[in-house]
Amino acid sequence: MPLKHLAVLLILFAGALFGLTARAEELNVYFKTTPRPELLRPFADPADMSLLVTGADGRPVREGVVAIRIDAPAPGFFFSTDYPLVEGTLLSELRLPLRQGKANWKYLFPIRGEYRLAVDVTADDGMKASKTFNFHIRENQKKWLALGAFSAALLVLGFVAGRIFTGTRATAMSLIAAALFASTTGNTGTLQPVPADGTILTIAPATVGRPSEIRWSLTRAAGAGHGAAALSLIITHLEKRKIVFAAERMPVAGEWSMKFHFPDGAEYRVAALGNVPGRTPVRTEQMVSVTGVQPPASAMAGVLAYFIALIALGLAAGRWSKRRTSK
Amino acid sequence: MERTVAARLGITVPEGVSFLIKSGIFLSVCGATLFVALGAGYPAVHDALHNVRHALAIVPCH
Repeated sequence: MPLKHLAVLLILFAGALFGLTARAEELNVYFKTTPRPELLRPFADPADMSLLVTGADGRPVREGVVAIRIDAPAPGFFFSTDYPLVEGTLLSELRLPLRQGKANWKYLFPIRGEYRLAVDVTADDGMKASKTFNFHIRENQKKWLALGAFSAALLVLGFVAGRIFTGTRATAMSLIAAALFASTTGNTGTLQPVPADGTILTIAPATVGRPSEIRWSLTRAAGAGHGAAALSLIITHLEKRKIVFAAERMPVAGEWSMKFHFPDGAEYRVAALGNVPGRTPVRTEQMVSVTGVQPPASAMAGVLAYFIALIALGLAAGRWSKRRTSK
Repeated sequence: MERTVAARLGITVPEGVSFLIKSGIFLSVCGATLFVALGAGYPAVHDALHNVRHALAIVPCH
């Protein structure tokens, strides 16, 4: 190869390499939760989630869109969480507009474990960036204490039984038969769009285990096509009286949708407030009755094995204790 | 219990075997009770023990 061609190739290669590096450094994406992930607990209080996108010079990107995807922690090897159908699933997928480089929303994490937040940023000038954040949510300490106390109770039960069953004297053992009842689960069916003074809020049938689509749109009568509307969307868990998702004053062009995974079979309220400049704000509200799904028996197998092993351990300890004292 | 069994059937079992039999029955009953209380989907049981299930952190619920 002539030396001239080699030099041209080297220059092109260096240029491409530099271009890639510079491209990757064009946008910086920062993620923050308030409070910090270490202080968050499942189904406790919603976290304030915040994304900041800046250019290479450190200045926030003025406008753009950020596509967000939150994936739930993967299933555990032996024990599941109390919401096994949520594990390893898509929790939320939405697009939020960037305002001064920021996108904010609230989210209530349903289970403990390692979450994955994937972010794709598209700035108005065409620049793009993708980043994935992993963060860990720890279980509520009270739950571990309750599990510890329950485990200790089973151990003591086994211990007492072990002492009773050991020995030469006949002992009466009373057994309590558990009453069984027929099981049925309810299904709420499809939720029809609810038009409310020019806005439409559509929520796909919500079932635990898969995300539902929530779609909000503005009719022409309510101001669609008259510039951006400011949409506030709040999803509330009615039984726990907690906000599980909230995004406020998002500039949307008449229509907005997201995928949201309702984590448990409970009643939720989805409330949307659309604000078109120069017009009366329009509030739409819809109740969602999420269909609960019975977890697979395999999810219970590990727990049951653990509890029975504790009782068996107690039985062995009780027998050992009785024989030791009777010698 | 051993006396009743021995009187009715005319058989006796060693103490160790007796312990194993009783323990087996006891564990089976405990397992069935735990499954119904914490794992089964019967609405009456589930609703009554729903909070207990969640409070134990590792018990699956819907």
